[in-house]
Amino acid sequence: MSASGRGYKPQNQRIKKPVYCYQCVAGPDLLRVEEEDGIATRVESNYTLEGKHPADGRVCVKAYGLIQKTYNPNRVQQPMKRTNPNKGREHDPGWQAISWDEALDIVAGKLREVREKGLRDEAGYPRVAASFGGGGTPTQYMGTFPAFLSAWGAVDLGFGAGQGVKCYHSEHLYGELWHRAFIVSPDVPRCKFVINCGSNVEASGGVVGVWREADARAHGLRRVQVEPHLSVTGALAGEWVPIRPKTDAAFLFALIHHILIERDPEQVCDVAYLREMTNSPYLVGPNGFFLRDTASHEPLVWDAKTGKAVAYNTGRAQPALTGAGKVSGVEKGPDGQDWVHTDIPGVTAFEKLIEHVREYSPDWAAEKTGITAETIRRIADEYLAHASIGETIEIGGQTFPYRPVAVMLGKGVNNGWGGYQTTWARTVLAVLVGALEVPGGVLGTNVKLVRPAHYRADSVRHGEDGFMHFPFNETSRNGWQPKPKIRNAYNTLVPLAADSPWSPALGPAHLPWLFQKEQPENWPTATKPDIWFCYRTNPSISSWNAPEVSERIAEFPFTVAFAYTQDETNYMADILLPEATDLESLQLIRVGNTKMMQAFWKKEGWGIRQPVGEKTVDCMDMTEISTQLAKRAGLLKEYVAAINRGSAGIKLKTEDYDFTLPADATPTVEEIWGQVAKAASHEVSDGAEVHDLEWFKSEGYMLREFAETSWFLAQTLREKGLRFELPYQERVYRHGRQLANRLHEAGVNWWENQLEEYEPMPSYISFPDIWIDHIREVGKNPEDFPLWALTARSMQYAWGANVGLPMIREVANNVAGHRGVILNPETAAKSGIAEGDWVLITSPTGVTRGRAVLRNGIRPDTILMIGQFDHWATPVAKDFNLPSLNSLTALSLSLTDSTGSGSDITRVRVERDADQSGKRKKRA
Amino acid sequence: MTSENPRYGMVVDVNRCVGCQTCTISCKHANDTAPDIQWRSVLDVEQGEFPDVSRFFLVVGCQHCAEPPCVPVCPTGATFQRDDGLVVMDYDTCIGCGYCAVACPYQARTIAHEAEFYYGRPTVQETHAAHPERIGVAQKCTFCIDRIDEAKDRGLTPGVDSEVTPACAASCIAQAITFGDFNDSDSRVSQLAKGHTFQINDFLKTDPQIKYLYDVPGSIEGLPDTDAHADDIAPGSDPLAGGVQTFWDMRAAMNFILGGMGSGFLLIASAAILSGLATPPAGKALLFAGATLIALGLFFVFLKIGRKGRFLNAIRRPQTSWMTREIYVVAVMFPLIGLALPTDASLSLAALIGIAAAAFLYCQARILHAAKGIPVWRASPVPLLLVATGLAEGAGLYLFASVLVPGAASATWIIVAGVAAGMVTLGTWLWLVRGAKTFRIPPKARQSLALATRVYVPAMIAAAALMAVWPPLGGLLVAVSGAAIKAWLITRAAHQQGFVLPAMPRRGSGRRASPSRLNGIQRDKAMSAVGVDPLETV
Repeated sequence: MSASGRGYKPQNQRIKKPVYCYQCVAGPDLLRVEEEDGIATRVESNYTLEGKHPADGRVCVKAYGLIQKTYNPNRVQQPMKRTNPNKGREHDPGWQAISWDEALDIVAGKLREVREKGLRDEAGYPRVAASFGGGGTPTQYMGTFPAFLSAWGAVDLGFGAGQGVKCYHSEHLYGELWHRAFIVSPDVPRCKFVINCGSNVEASGGVVGVWREADARAHGLRRVQVEPHLSVTGALAGEWVPIRPKTDAAFLFALIHHILIERDPEQVCDVAYLREMTNSPYLVGPNGFFLRDTASHEPLVWDAKTGKAVAYNTGRAQPALTGAGKVSGVEKGPDGQDWVHTDIPGVTAFEKLIEHVREYSPDWAAEKTGITAETIRRIADEYLAHASIGETIEIGGQTFPYRPVAVMLGKGVNNGWGGYQTTWARTVLAVLVGALEVPGGVLGTNVKLVRPAHYRADSVRHGEDGFMHFPFNETSRNGWQPKPKIRNAYNTLVPLAADSPWSPALGPAHLPWLFQKEQPENWPTATKPDIWFCYRTNPSISSWNAPEVSERIAEFPFTVAFAYTQDETNYMADILLPEATDLESLQLIRVGNTKMMQAFWKKEGWGIRQPVGEKTVDCMDMTEISTQLAKRAGLLKEYVAAINRGSAGIKLKTEDYDFTLPADATPTVEEIWGQVAKAASHEVSDGAEVHDLEWFKSEGYMLREFAETSWFLAQTLREKGLRFELPYQERVYRHGRQLANRLHEAGVNWWENQLEEYEPMPSYISFPDIWIDHIREVGKNPEDFPLWALTARSMQYAWGANVGLPMIREVANNVAGHRGVILNPETAAKSGIAEGDWVLITSPTGVTRGRAVLRNGIRPDTILMIGQFDHWATPVAKDFNLPSLNSLTALSLSLTDSTGSGSDITRVRVERDADQSGKRKKRA
Repeated sequence: MTSENPRYGMVVDVNRCVGCQTCTISCKHANDTAPDIQWRSVLDVEQGEFPDVSRFFLVVGCQHCAEPPCVPVCPTGATFQRDDGLVVMDYDTCIGCGYCAVACPYQARTIAHEAEFYYGRPTVQETHAAHPERIGVAQKCTFCIDRIDEAKDRGLTPGVDSEVTPACAASCIAQAITFGDFNDSDSRVSQLAKGHTFQINDFLKTDPQIKYLYDVPGSIEGLPDTDAHADDIAPGSDPLAGGVQTFWDMRAAMNFILGGMGSGFLLIASAAILSGLATPPAGKALLFAGATLIALGLFFVFLKIGRKGRFLNAIRRPQTSWMTREIYVVAVMFPLIGLALPTDASLSLAALIGIAAAAFLYCQARILHAAKGIPVWRASPVPLLLVATGLAEGAGLYLFASVLVPGAASATWIIVAGVAAGMVTLGTWLWLVRGAKTFRIPPKARQSLALATRVYVPAMIAAAALMAVWPPLGGLLVAVSGAAIKAWLITRAAHQQGFVLPAMPRRGSGRRASPSRLNGIQRDKAMSAVGVDPLETV
């Protein structure tokens, strides 16, 4: 009688195909998609993973967009060729539909042509460039395209799409240096108190992040959220502290000051941890370098037992944190410069730290941050009160120290100017109470720069001076590479960026765009790539100063875009190749272990993504596209060899098994992933079970145990006799000095501000003034731009390439700020702005327009634009009429820090638009 | 295991919910709902003023009330409550009158009058998952009834086994929504409900079966919802505040306008006939006119309902629905008028017609009043207001008609009755406006009432005074004023209830922040070093 359930088959009679979702860096999560009559109909969590996946197999809102993503009528229906030679926003591309054969031949022809000229151009840069969307997620969808790139050779992967300004840049680099933490997370399930400076984990932490944090809240985790606007995450914190933008370092320095100066460190700090696990007891010479044993050159500590300086690794020494007597030794400075000292007063790194933070009192910070000194002191005391120094906890039969406190940093805080200061202060706060890499405390999730990358613990290897090895890019006279490998020059300008496959994305990824416009002095010519591939990325929207980047893209001679719908970047392309999307293609990937952002699993293994339903457009699986490009470009052998070597995620041949593809045949998509399935199942089961593709298609995943105890690295360091390289940054300091020498020798004088950042312990500078000064730099008056503009993550959209999906828009609109720019009512009233009014937001370098959304959860001196919009070509999204911070921020060297990143922030003014119609306006 | 007589419901933990809308979209998938129809959604709520602000997320949708106000009003029986507590819909019976939608104080119901698709034209998936049976009828959350019913066959437990748990609860990535059997004391919902919970709009005594946990561990208690009845209307949009209902538009209002007017007129005309003021031909004309007004009003309603071919289903709920009862009264009144018209002698039926007209007027008053979802309508003065307005209009119209219809004479008692009814109307109106806060009418609706008062009160006073002086014109003006105020009540001062929360989680900035925790420290020496007074322990 009730019609409510009419037509629904019982759940157990439905066809549900297992796939994975990796639409954000917090993935993968595993889901199931219903299929009826060859049509993908519905998405649901994969409940078979209850007890196996850290969020019991749930998927978030974005995964539910996949059905609409598949059947979006605005998709590029077949390969397209540009007929209009003029490129730019004002030029219609004049798309002409062509066959796959023709499209692939055009691209392959171009590839062969380029290859004949040589892989690198006259400036030494790769002729082929490729850009992928953020966070490494595109590789989870691009099948064997990495094998194609590997077969090709030198490729410039450094044209950014917002990297640096849209990522946790300083956290990535320093995090890996200090504790193998490309991303940092509290040990949420055991943590009791978190100071959260702008980390919007409830929007960025993915399913597992939300799941764990909710559990922790229910169990009593207290979070103090320090940020200028009340984010989704701030909403869930016990306390919101509205800090002045970009002053977080002052707040964090004051916390350290309170602990070290206003409290007694002997009483409130984990002294044993500082002594044994950090470089706090290392003696520092007058020139700022470690004082070393003259013979062995090992850093010296003051042995409290014998009352003399000994090498840090002397067996029974009791290194003192303070109170060293007279010492002698050698300081090893930059470029082999040595200073020999005799009987000078011994000063430890810990004492240097105390002196360093002496000026940063809570009263000093109150003036900078707008947070009262009393509040700062209270928060510091809460931190200490929760640190539980001396407590232990048992996990997996092992006893660990238990320090349930953490400081978290968000985007805009842990990147750009001030990023070094905040990441350092956060990590120092952790080591002060012994909370770094122990249960309850501050953990890393994964590694991307150091090797091996698969298990964090394996990457803990002996380096210099008792610290972990870190693959700095060389800055010595002989080692420095004056010629950048690629246009963003990560290996030349950023020692911390290392040289892993991820490094190109972690260099100053906006510099290629900037240098296309303004050639810097004494630097290789900023050439354009002969061929640019772009995949799942839209730099015309997602970059800082996106409109300008769009203009640079239009200047590229030959762009191949793997296209879903028309968008603002592929509008400038020459060829559109419609790839099979998430539910139309096949791939196996690694799942589990520990991954971004809070994906701490107790399992690891492999999962599958497979086609659901029948294709409705003439698209092609990325693996097939890659195979065809390799074949037609004459690189098939190299391509198959790359797959056999492991480009598809796993080696197809080891000592234990051999599932290699024949070198001389063109493999099908199913053959490639079939072999991967066998290798993967062999790996997971240690050879006990070998499963084919059909098995994975049916079961969805294969897992084995992953020990929770391996989440905590402090134990590993202790076992290996290593220390965390904190608080003192001798290596960073030395690299900075050497880099300065190298650049000056090469006549490069435009990286001076960045070079000043290389300090052994970072100093506070007035970060907000950097943006104020930039207004003057572009010839404008700071008084005309009285407000700060910020952005925040939209969980519903971020990374999803889903702005063209009306269902996502419908539900995202339930969350405040998705309909316009958030303003404090007081700020709005001053400009005569009412809820829903159209407003113009103008920065020194751009303008954007949207509706006013009045909320009290924002400082009156700040406005907020969620996500990144301002689309003008993407169907559906171009009708959003939403403002975007990316239309306002400037591409500028002076806004670039030493790691090559910037912050998503700018000064603006807001006015009620005289035109109150909803019509889109052309950019001024 | 579920109990023998399960009572299904949910506990939503406000401290867990992050407002991500995964429940919203998973519901859309599980139930194939059309664009902009959300059986489940999450509100993003902010309260307070900078720097004392808090923000939280509120899962809303059908509350499957133990005392559901939508059920008794339904004239067809399409909405009913099952033994397990589920308030469900039979789409094949519903006529789409929208009564349940205005009766629901939780804004849980929607009516889609046309099939809509996300990209304009349907995709293959949308065609496959289309639900034509839902067009033109009321729809809402079913607690994923098909899953619950499947559970029995498969020996599974809703709320325990995810596949047979409502999609929103099963998909929630914060475990904020828990589903289960409140009659099973061991169920997770029963256990959770032992914490500090509230029910939305609890003062309406609907006993919603979604209970909201608002504890923030470490904080002593939740904050009272001080803003719910504040006079100030926030400059930003407030998702807790109800907007003006759109289910009953001017077509529905015309039934109250013409029906009230017509029945009041029939009442006065019947009295005039019985007292000999109207000649038989005039009497017939008057009865015909009154019946025409009512018929016209009903015709407007007919135009409004979503499934016109099923209008006869509206006679199925005389036990509880005033809408059905109104139809029964019409079913008696119109034949009576039909019988009264042929001969002069049959005009003696006027007494019965008058009684029927009064009953009709009363039904109308009760129809509006039973719509619990609209605070103004459910306010105590409204039934009297509608009856008095109908009488004033009826008298006024009669006085006007006495000029037009030969043989229909005026009389002082009619003027007195009209003026008196007008004064009662005014008094009742002022009772409504002045008591608005005590009737828990929300600020925007109060503002709307105040706005109407400025025009209505002087207009009604002037019209009533004019009726005493120049009855036909004054009478007409009284009728127009009455019509106008009913139109205003039904289409303008018809704000939905919104969401009144007795408590909310204690968190936020400044005065709204949860208390700091400085003890819990394990080392005595560190405690003394920190030198702080212990505050509240978790």
